[in-house]
Amino acid sequence: MVLLSAPRWLRSRLTDRFWRVQEVLKYARHFRGRKNRCYSLAIRSVRRAFVKSTKARREKKRFLRALWITRIEAASLEHGLKYPSFISNLLKSQVELNRKMIADLAIYEPKTFKSLAALAQRRRQEGFLAALGDGKEPEGIFSRIVHHC
Amino acid sequence: MGRDFSGRDFLEETDRKVSLVFAAEVVQKVNKMIAMGQYGRLFAVVHFASKQWKITSEDLIMMDNVLEAECGDRIRMEKVLLVGADDFTLIGRPLLGKDLVRVEATVIEKTESWPKINMRFRRRHNYQKKKIIVNPQTVLRINTIEIFPCLS
Repeated sequence: MVLLSAPRWLRSRLTDRFWRVQEVLKYARHFRGRKNRCYSLAIRSVRRAFVKSTKARREKKRFLRALWITRIEAASLEHGLKYPSFISNLLKSQVELNRKMIADLAIYEPKTFKSLAALAQRRRQEGFLAALGDGKEPEGIFSRIVHHC
Repeated sequence: MGRDFSGRDFLEETDRKVSLVFAAEVVQKVNKMIAMGQYGRLFAVVHFASKQWKITSEDLIMMDNVLEAECGDRIRMEKVLLVGADDFTLIGRPLLGKDLVRVEATVIEKTESWPKINMRFRRRHNYQKKKIIVNPQTVLRINTIEIFPCLS
């Protein structure tokens, strides 16, 4: 005879509870205190850790940029320029290096950074001349805009 | 810089001619140096995969995306922003010409990143989502950076 429904003594019980718990505990092994051993405490800490790492990935971009700007400011002050004038004059001379690159050059290639600072300084003087001279002086060399095909 | 701009003597006509001649001399000197090969290791700043990289030869670069080239293919990187050696730097406005610099690279491996976990959780509201993100990555080895003496 065929039984249409399962008998009551047949239960579906969890057999891989150990591995499910280990999946969470493996992320908590380097934590401090009981939360690296006990599941109930660990699951809370692990969840917070994941959420914090997700949010930090977005903020990392922000504070790395702030770090680069600080470094560029320090390096350009060594050459007698302030950060806003350095960056604005570099952009006006059509040099499109981003802040990460300029910070790296300031650390590892000091001569190149010095030449960039000199370029920005020269463009700055030409800008002042153009503003104060009112057309009687010829145009600056570095103020010319280069057009690519 | 505390300079006085009231007088127009800052960049007179003769100064300008002197600076132009000086500029032409510098360009010729650099051209000769490149032609004679008197430079050591070159470094270049290259715009690639929407990022800027400072590279030399024998460098390894890892991009966080896929490149439509097989492993072992040679690639030429065309958007070069800056090339430098010990004694001179060539700054592009914004790019350097393709007949001036040549940067070659080889695709070494194409893998996936480690599984990054994206989790959102709101306490006391029974809301949590967990997503595992695996990005494809490509590793390139920069073979050579060459410059040619065609400055003007």
